[in-house]
Amino acid sequence: MSAVDPQDKNPKIEQAGASDESIQQVHSILLREKPEPEENHSPMPLFLLGFISAMVLMVAIYFVHNSGGLSQSFSFKQAAMVYDERFDPKNAPSAGAEVKIDPLALGKKNYASVCAACHQPNGLGVPGVYPPLAKSEWVTGSEERIIRILLHGLQGPIKVEGKEYNSAMPAIGPGGYNFSDERIAAVLTYIRQEWGNSAPAVTKEKVTEIRTKAAAGRTTAWTSAELDAIP
Amino acid sequence: MASVPNLAASFDPATSPDLVKRAELSEIDASTKVPALFFLGSAVLWLLVGTAFALISSFKLHTPNYFGDIEWLTFGRTRTAHLNAVIYGWSVNAAFAVAFWLMARLSRSVLRHSGLLMIAGAFWNIGVTIGIIGILTGDSTSIEWLEMPPYATPLLFVAYALIGAWALITFRFGKSGHIYVSQWYLLAALFWFPWLYSIAQIMLILEPARGTVQALVNWWFAHNVLGLWFTPIGLAAVYYFLPKVLGKPIHSYYLSILGFWSLALFYNWAGVHHLIGGPVPAWVLSAGIAASFMMAIPVIVTGINHHMTMVGSFSALKYSPTLRFIVFGAVSYTITSLIGSLMADRQVNEVVHFTHFTVAHAHQGMYAFFTMVMFGSIYYILPRILLKEWPSAMLISVHFWTVAVGITVYVVGLSIGGIKQGLEMNNADIPFLSTTAASVVTNTIPYLLSRSLSGVLMTIGHMAFAVNISWMLLRPRAPQATTPTLFQNPPEMEVAR
Ligand code: HEC
Repeated sequence: MSAVDPQDKNPKIEQAGASDESIQQVHSILLREKPEPEENHSPMPLFLLGFISAMVLMVAIYFVHNSGGLSQSFSFKQAAMVYDERFDPKNAPSAGAEVKIDPLALGKKNYASVCAACHQPNGLGVPGVYPPLAKSEWVTGSEERIIRILLHGLQGPIKVEGKEYNSAMPAIGPGGYNFSDERIAAVLTYIRQEWGNSAPAVTKEKVTEIRTKAAAGRTTAWTSAELDAIP
Repeated sequence: MASVPNLAASFDPATSPDLVKRAELSEIDASTKVPALFFLGSAVLWLLVGTAFALISSFKLHTPNYFGDIEWLTFGRTRTAHLNAVIYGWSVNAAFAVAFWLMARLSRSVLRHSGLLMIAGAFWNIGVTIGIIGILTGDSTSIEWLEMPPYATPLLFVAYALIGAWALITFRFGKSGHIYVSQWYLLAALFWFPWLYSIAQIMLILEPARGTVQALVNWWFAHNVLGLWFTPIGLAAVYYFLPKVLGKPIHSYYLSILGFWSLALFYNWAGVHHLIGGPVPAWVLSAGIAASFMMAIPVIVTGINHHMTMVGSFSALKYSPTLRFIVFGAVSYTITSLIGSLMADRQVNEVVHFTHFTVAHAHQGMYAFFTMVMFGSIYYILPRILLKEWPSAMLISVHFWTVAVGITVYVVGLSIGGIKQGLEMNNADIPFLSTTAASVVTNTIPYLLSRSLSGVLMTIGHMAFAVNISWMLLRPRAPQATTPTLFQNPPEMEVAR
């Protein structure tokens, strides 16, 4: 027979396997322990209600006062700034101003990530394959030509520093590496002023002008002969 | 119920409703025996390992060249090894054992698939071992609370997933219609921990978030491990053992509910208060501080509930070791949590942040509360799964007094020292470090010595505990009925522990 617990209506109790034998073997340690815990239903003390309400109120006031500008008079962007009671968005030096980027720094970074693979970090290129940029008459010469080289690429025979090259350079602008005008201007400014080169900076506006007007619609790479025709 | 089987019942055991329940409990306990012993055994071994690293680190703080020229025993590694050994080794192993023992009993379900648990246990402990060796050899990730190198953590995660799945199975197949408050806490904790751990692993180690978000995730995790994993397991144990040992119901079901949900609601936000003064949006900090204040609600509610259950039974503390440890833990929980809410206040934080006060607070939470509760639970659980009594009441007494005095000296000493240190650090006239004049650093030395002293006391306690356990494991089971090992024998056998 399996033991039935008269106070327990749960039929599953029979599956507990509490056979006579196992009951008799229940160790004294288990027999002496108190029944499994239960809960009384004493009502909550009233003062708790007051305490909790007071906490909610105080903490809400605290939050509103110390949110460092989450209120309507500030934008979310400002609210997300570090809290500093001396900070006043109206006098902040950088408020609303665009951040200035040093074209040389930007150019150097882009040169290292793209151009250096072929023209080498020292700008000397690889003899017979990749022409040098250091001291190159193309680099320090007319900005009209090198902007075009970068925008659309270059192919066919070309003479640099008296040596012949006949290879192809991919487009860095649209359809190729997709550099923005700003990045093209920056990288050109960089190669024109590095390794002892000294030629004036190239502006972003000039690049935009050539891309959208002078060379608009061009998709193929330039050749040395075509570029020679451009001043 | 009588603690000695009463006469009528012993004539015809099968008709006594209570005996049927006892038989069921006895079977449930028996089914948990192997895995529970495995986890508890590992826990105690890790406790000893963690204690050794704790002592070394503590000595180094006042005597820096102690073991100073052994690379893998430098402070950065021993302190980290201590933290990981006591958290992931001792605390989590103990928490697992207590959690599934309680879960099985309260769900009235024998432990199924205990093989699953053993595999999980093996994975967990191998993971922790590899992790700590990794830390000692210099592979720490240097992310607080997640220092174990990435080659150890997947093991922990597998272990955890198995245990979580197992707990759900047990709960699902349970026979108990009523869900007791301890079970809410256990289930919630078993859900929360994998959530915390996986998010933290992904956002900090695998695909690290950038900038200050990393710090936010780090403290969200580190604080929630305490509040959403150790705290609920500790509270589940308190909620079980208080009424169990006293043989009377928990004061109020309503307070239990309120305490549980307010903890679930507020705790998750609180971790940000670790970044007060850091480069984090002000409103994020203020929300964290607000939630930290609100934590006073669950703490006070739970405190009242426990206290009202105890009222009228304080004399039982004289007899029952379990009760004494559990009550010490429960009281510490209330105190340490209220101090924690206070520490989140910006003005207070300005002083106590980056001082030994924080260290005192962390130990009050993890040791004075959680570890003491685990000790109490183990004193109750082991006799039931081994069906043997504790061999020595004297050793239990030594254990209790050394660790109770030890942790009190520790917390009081470092709290005072920490406040002093914080005030001095904010005072530009006092040099930070100077070998000739009084400086912030040299002024902390007396307090650091008190910390080492308390460390020695606690070490003695842990040894007494380990000796008592080993003795218990080795001694043969008594054939006849036995009486409990109590601090002193009560006038009537009122207290059953
Ligand atoms: C895939 C390799 C490659 C990359 C990348 C490359 N180039 Fe070139 N570049 C060449 C080759 C090849 C030529 C010569 C083409 C020819 O023979 O017609 C050349 C020619 C040039 C010239 C004209 C000749 C000279 O040496 O003065 C300039 C200027 C130039 N490249 C600049 C750049 C800049 C700036 C970048 C980076 C934005 C760049 N190149 C990226 C391969 C490359």
